Amino acid sequence: MKFYAPFCLPFIIGATAMFAIVLGKWLVWLLRLPRADKMLILRGLPSRATFGAVGEVFCESLLHRRIFRVNPVLGYMHMSLAFGWFLLISVGWIETVAHLGFRYVPLQGHVFFKYFATSLEHKPFFDFAMDLLLLFVLSGVALAWGKRLRSKALGMRRTTKHVLGDRIALSALWFIFPARLLAESATCALYGGGGFLTGSLGGWMHDRIGMLALMNLESAAWWFYSSCLGLFFVALPFSRYMHIFTEIPLIFLRRYRLRSGEKATSYDRFQLEACSRCGICIDPCQLQSVLGVDNVQSVYFLRDRRYKMLRPEIADNCLMCGRCATKCPVGIDLNTLRLNSRNRLRNLPDKRRYAYLKETDRSQGSGKVGYFAGCMTLLTPRILQAMEQVFTAAGEQVWWADRDGGVCCGRPLKLSGETDAARKMMRYNTELFRKHGITTLVTSCPICLKVFREDYALEGIEVLHHSEYILRLLRTGRLRLSHGDTRYTYHDPCELGRGSGIYDQPRAVIEAMGQLLEPAETRENALCCGSSVANTAISDGQQAAIARSVAAELEATGAETIVTACPLCKKAIARGATKEVHDLAEIVAAHIRR
Amino acid sequence: MKKVIIIGGGAAGMQTALRLAERGIEALILEKEAEAGGKLRGWHALFPTFTPAEEVLTELRRRIEEKKIEIRTRSEVRSLTPKSVTLADGQRLDCDAVVLASGFTLFDAAIKEEYGYGLYDNVFTSADIERMLNEGRVARADGSAPQRIALLHCVGSRDEKVCQQHCSRVCCITGVKQAMELKQRFPEADIFNFYMDIRMFGPGYEEMYREAQQKCNVHFVRGRISEAAPTLDGRIQIKAEDTLTGRPLRMSVDMLILLVGMRANDDSAALAESAGLQRSPSGFMAPRDHFLHNVESNVEGIFYAGTVTAPKNIGETLNEAIAAADAAADYLNE
Repeated sequence: MKFYAPFCLPFIIGATAMFAIVLGKWLVWLLRLPRADKMLILRGLPSRATFGAVGEVFCESLLHRRIFRVNPVLGYMHMSLAFGWFLLISVGWIETVAHLGFRYVPLQGHVFFKYFATSLEHKPFFDFAMDLLLLFVLSGVALAWGKRLRSKALGMRRTTKHVLGDRIALSALWFIFPARLLAESATCALYGGGGFLTGSLGGWMHDRIGMLALMNLESAAWWFYSSCLGLFFVALPFSRYMHIFTEIPLIFLRRYRLRSGEKATSYDRFQLEACSRCGICIDPCQLQSVLGVDNVQSVYFLRDRRYKMLRPEIADNCLMCGRCATKCPVGIDLNTLRLNSRNRLRNLPDKRRYAYLKETDRSQGSGKVGYFAGCMTLLTPRILQAMEQVFTAAGEQVWWADRDGGVCCGRPLKLSGETDAARKMMRYNTELFRKHGITTLVTSCPICLKVFREDYALEGIEVLHHSEYILRLLRTGRLRLSHGDTRYTYHDPCELGRGSGIYDQPRAVIEAMGQLLEPAETRENALCCGSSVANTAISDGQQAAIARSVAAELEATGAETIVTACPLCKKAIARGATKEVHDLAEIVAAHIRR
Repeated sequence: MKKVIIIGGGAAGMQTALRLAERGIEALILEKEAEAGGKLRGWHALFPTFTPAEEVLTELRRRIEEKKIEIRTRSEVRSLTPKSVTLADGQRLDCDAVVLASGFTLFDAAIKEEYGYGLYDNVFTSADIERMLNEGRVARADGSAPQRIALLHCVGSRDEKVCQQHCSRVCCITGVKQAMELKQRFPEADIFNFYMDIRMFGPGYEEMYREAQQKCNVHFVRGRISEAAPTLDGRIQIKAEDTLTGRPLRMSVDMLILLVGMRANDDSAALAESAGLQRSPSGFMAPRDHFLHNVESNVEGIFYAGTVTAPKNIGETLNEAIAAADAAADYLNE
């Protein structure tokens, strides 16, 4: 049996080109990885992480479990295309084996088996199974078409605006399966066979179309099918469909504990090209929903960075609230990628900058517990005063790191991309903490908290957010609060909630004083106050507009007082609120029982 | 006899009523507070002549009494149309035209938390100082005399962070005036004005500014204060930048005075909505245009007088009240 016909050529060329380019990309990215990352891979390969990765590839790359969690219809669409196509290929391979036994069949022989197998006896089971799978995939294609026309029907307010390469690949992909249906049906019309789909359609065509026309149609249909495949394969490595082959190594590398950092590495390429541009990140973005800014979301940021057309105004225009990252079905570390792009665009190492830092120790008092107010708490002195009352009531001896002014924690600079300058501040503060011999460091600013935990080397010093510290005082009986009947609502600060995973502690403290009402979007889905230090692009008026929308949602709970646990959120929300806005510490200080 | 209702019994409202009476039109003043007089009641002396505010107010009241113009106090307005005004208690008063002279709201300095107003002793607003001058006793919280005083300009004015982009105009000259008054009381004290720009727009203002520097030795530092913190001995430590020398500075002062700005009246939004009146982005009422119809609203039969449309000084307010009354009278005589 000969497995070649001229129409196979577009497919053969396309598939060869695709595999060569994809493998080439993988190889280059892997070779360029930092040495430490390569060691992680070598150590991870023979471990259980590999098995875990195989399972995850099955669940995510084929079944698309995470998309199902966000949106079931969208999940079905992706699963039917990915898993359906995978099954078509694997069941098709089994079909070939069932017919011919284990012998070498070239790739196009498998893919166009129906065309070559007309002389073989029919196996109704495979005819049925293959038609069922084709129907499964076609249902996904139909949904994809529907999504382009009416995205709301699939639960997405907005879908991605695509680049030209994507449009070519997308169009080719849309036509692959209808073309396959047509080609296989035409063959069935001429030679019989086929299942409920191709067989029936073939019979219908047989009855209505003349022999000569049918032969021409069959030839044209197979050419068209092969051309669609070839075009899709050639476009794939340069389009969003590269995610199909990139998510697989990404899953393995992630299981081997490779991570993106504040400086770009080759590992970032795996994350960048694993983005399928599904656009799920667009809807959660408040810059989109409140301000109508529609070209900066993660999908566009990754796209621009991948095609090397990233502009600072895109990289900078992000609150880094992390709302999109929690929804990303590929689990891409969106904030870190944004961060190291900013580092590349803006980091300007200058030895003389911040040379004055060494003369700035203005700390006061002494104690094993240190308190770091941070710049924003110094600008909201009611919080500082409240913390002082809490410390006094608990009888804590406190070393005040920066009450009379100090050095910034470094996170705002880091977020803006000036990582080297930020490191100077981090080193200064680390030495300061060590010099004063504290064992616990309390801060009321989640921005400081996050950088202390993630970027400072503070072994031996426990870093606590004031919500954690106050809850600990309550649990150990060192602080007693009176309970009233005020109704509070709580705003999760991004850096505290999604950023540091602290959701329950502030809630527990509030519930010790009154009733807590949750806003519509809360915890992992909480809104950003809009005044994030990570965004240097939007105007003050735009920040205020976001604040008003957030305040409206919080006030809709019917609570009398809005509580948050971040000085920046407090200042931001107060601008848009009609109700009182307070930091957790202020509420606690007002409820201390003596 | 035609009747006009004037909302607001401050300088603008009273002057409008007087002019309307001259033109033979009945005027009724609705005043929210227990007593007419508006913001002038809390003020000590007026720049640039140090004329006692009481003097102006007493004369206005005397004329109102002389003309037998009715002022209804404790009358808060809920809504209005050109032909009627509805009070908060539901009572409806009919009229032939309305002049809105409801003035401004003083910016709440506590919103600028970093300056510690309401939080630390010895942080005051310009309104507090006027009150203390009226009471005849300016002193620190512990009753002692200040040795060093800082006045901070533009608190709640020209400040995007508190959504107040506009300039309140009169705080600059108020800062100069209060510095001079304080210098007179405490000749030994050092007095500093921290400013962004000094805007001396009125007659005699620039001269007064010069006099403050040359004769009274009041210091002017170009730069805003970034934050204030209490010291252990009850003083206020301020951080600022002297932008002329380009250096950051720290200073401990005995009194920090915040020159609070004028913001749109808190009631303006609801009143505007009830009558379909347009407001400018600052929240103040927008006159029909800024040149030929600057005391008229976009709704025929509703007029504006005084700071309901923008920050103004007393002289401008009194003049504008006459213009508004004339516009209303002309409208009624048509």
